[in-house]
Amino acid sequence: MKLRLFLALSASFLLAMAAACSRPGVDSEVKRYRHSDDGVPTNIDPLQAATVYSNQIVVSVYDTLYRYKYLARPYVLVPNLAAGMPEISDDGLTYTITLKPGVRFIDDEAFPDGKGREVTAHDVVYSLKRHFDPARVSQGRWLWDRKIEGLNQWMDAGADYDAAVPGLLAVDDHTVRVRLVKPFPQFMNTLAQGFAAIVPHEAVTAYGEGLGTRAVGSGPWKLERYTREQVRLVRNPDFRKEPLDLAYEGYDAALHGHLGIAHLDGKPSPFVDELWIDFIQESAARWASFTSGREIQMSGLPVEQTDIVLASKDPVALKPEYAQRYHLDTGPEAGLVFTVFNMADPDIGNVPDPQRNAMNRALRCAMRDAFDWQQRNDRFYSGLGEVFPGVIPPLLAEFDATLSRDSVTHNPERARARLAEAGWTAENLPTLDYGLVASVLGREMAEEFRGYMAAVGIPPEKINIKSYATFGDYNRALRTSELPIMGYGWGLDYPDAENVLQLFYGPNAAPGSNAANYRNPAYDALYEQSSVMLPSAARSEIYRQMNQMLIDDCVGILSLSRRRIALWHRDVLGLPDRQILGGFWLRFVDVK
Amino acid sequence: MSADRPHSLWSRAAQRFVRDRAGMVSAVVVLGYFLVALTVWLGLGGQDWGVLGSDSFAPVSAEHWFGTTRNGQDIFARTVYSTRTAFEIGLVVAVSSVVLGAVFGALSGFFAGSWLDEGILWLKGVLDAIPFFLFVVAVAYSLQGHPLAMHVAMIATFWTTTGRYVRGEVIKLKSMEFVEAARAVGVPQGAIIFRHILPNTSHILLVQGTLVFVTAIKAEVILSFLGLGVQDGVSWGLMISQSTNEVTAGFFNNFIAASLAMFVLVMAFNFFSDALQDALDPRKVSA
Repeated sequence: MKLRLFLALSASFLLAMAAACSRPGVDSEVKRYRHSDDGVPTNIDPLQAATVYSNQIVVSVYDTLYRYKYLARPYVLVPNLAAGMPEISDDGLTYTITLKPGVRFIDDEAFPDGKGREVTAHDVVYSLKRHFDPARVSQGRWLWDRKIEGLNQWMDAGADYDAAVPGLLAVDDHTVRVRLVKPFPQFMNTLAQGFAAIVPHEAVTAYGEGLGTRAVGSGPWKLERYTREQVRLVRNPDFRKEPLDLAYEGYDAALHGHLGIAHLDGKPSPFVDELWIDFIQESAARWASFTSGREIQMSGLPVEQTDIVLASKDPVALKPEYAQRYHLDTGPEAGLVFTVFNMADPDIGNVPDPQRNAMNRALRCAMRDAFDWQQRNDRFYSGLGEVFPGVIPPLLAEFDATLSRDSVTHNPERARARLAEAGWTAENLPTLDYGLVASVLGREMAEEFRGYMAAVGIPPEKINIKSYATFGDYNRALRTSELPIMGYGWGLDYPDAENVLQLFYGPNAAPGSNAANYRNPAYDALYEQSSVMLPSAARSEIYRQMNQMLIDDCVGILSLSRRRIALWHRDVLGLPDRQILGGFWLRFVDVK
Repeated sequence: MSADRPHSLWSRAAQRFVRDRAGMVSAVVVLGYFLVALTVWLGLGGQDWGVLGSDSFAPVSAEHWFGTTRNGQDIFARTVYSTRTAFEIGLVVAVSSVVLGAVFGALSGFFAGSWLDEGILWLKGVLDAIPFFLFVVAVAYSLQGHPLAMHVAMIATFWTTTGRYVRGEVIKLKSMEFVEAARAVGVPQGAIIFRHILPNTSHILLVQGTLVFVTAIKAEVILSFLGLGVQDGVSWGLMISQSTNEVTAGFFNNFIAASLAMFVLVMAFNFFSDALQDALDPRKVSA
């Protein structure tokens, strides 16, 4: 009996082994690209594509009308779902955009019979209208707020989707016509953002808020799995077969030859079957995952590893043992990091009482003087970042290298003097919350901030550290104005200083992008004046004035641009780039 | 005559404890830690844990006994200040959960078989069934990151064991003669429970208190490491968490300092708790 049982178990085991070995479609046949990110896309509904993490997923699973060229730098817009660049009227107000015919949404239960239908101009109109539906929370509404004829009125009238918006019309199934209220030079760029991704109304009806964790689009990828730890995307087999034209995408053999992508020319993307994106917030864990080979690409080099991995910082170069294993791409960040004060908070912001207003300004300026940017750069960015006054980063053409560096110079004596002159003492200073995302680096930065303040007489107990579990939670706190002091980063949506200056435009106040709730009529007037201007010396001069206002009002502790150091394994063929709200590059990546 | 006088349970337990060499050494170590925590409470030491220095990751030196952090903060000062954090959490959680366990256990035991007993047993069962860390996350979330979220979660979870022991002891005690006598002279039920029965469970409460204390310290370190514990300030858990980025770059000071400090205290408290348990064991004491 025992022998029979033993034989039966042995046979079952062998059969199971044989079955496992002969299973079709096993992992070895699947071409999979995998990388990790340092933040979680808490919501992948295009309405909420406010972070690089969300945007990356959104532009992969949905279509946008336009995208950026894969390799060309500076970034160049090209048609994506649109058949070509728009026809723009002479007054610069009317954009007529033709869609590619025959593009289909993926098959999904949201559609009748589960079969995806063709993407039409009506979907484009619907997707933009959604941002203005008062029943929905949109983090992208500010992009088109008061800029498209009749769209705000449509929202105020109750957002009836059957009612036409004069400035946002589907002329026919494949033509969209947008009429702007005033010239908006960055309008085309906004159509390349995840916010402008095309969503079918059937999916919104079927899933509602559930679109935050599932996707029904027409992009190159289909969402297979979404968790807070990982997103898995699989190739959309019905994605339009457009061959990759490397020359058109900006390929230069001298610059890009080492990437090993030349053989992809003329082949339709995507080139891999699956994308796995892991979300690992702690840099040590992410680095360990990368170096162990679990991830085959990563976006940044942890500061602790800088001296171990780099042979030199200027120019940035890898040590030979790392150069053998990894590709390196480096350059200034298309964005900035800074700390802003909540100007709507009576403890530190603008108040009607002139005396208190002056005291609050003195407090803000003192905190700015107390902050040591150089030390922040050395300790948290390996000294590779670039500290600059104001908010226009060095990467942009409008950057003013001649601007006084007084506002970024560590000056604790002046900070103490400002506090004393304004009548602030350790006793009467307000207690201010400083928000952070619960991570080791976030906590260390908060302690550093509190240490700088303590050094000029602001007691540590007056800076209350408030931590948030995820960046999504923290981002929500920024949008609800619950913090008086907010440190965060801004990645450019498009290469134009308007994109950072709008962060302080009054009507964009929270829940819009103006988390500082800065309201200055003079600033707003200049912003409105410049927002309709094309790049010119006159516009740059207005930008300079606005930048100076932010410095003079001590709206924040401004700013630093990090150096981007991307490493990826040599068996990955592609150019990873998540800048300018990137993510489009994922459709072109290949693995050996 | 005096040599024949019977000793009380407490004096015999004290004699037994004093004879336990490991117990005494561990008590001295625990007392040492407590004195360190006391100096921090009194503002006499460890107050500079947040002061920024000019040298990042400085090695061990006469100025910085355990080196410095990325922010140039003195790791020795942070280790010392963390002792206060550990004792603060340990004491609050131990006292609160033991009191809660004693009250619920006594009520449950005295009214064994009643709806009150059933209700308390059900509550204990429910709380014990929820995975601890999941429960802490839920409490932390519902309290919106309140600094006491971790304390609340621990107290709500840790009282159940004490409650179970006390319930058993009270069931045993309530049928004893002194309780019958109290009933006979008309002492109210509340007074019988809290003035006559509960004091007789004090040996259980003392041992449970030490066990909960050390469990709370360990839980704090784990929770803080995971980002669910101490939100503002410094603790050994936060120091170990901080070291995760540093050890990959070859800097171990934070990790060693916090781990060693916690290890010695936890070990000492475990020995202390064992010795106390042995000393207060009625079977051994009465032998």
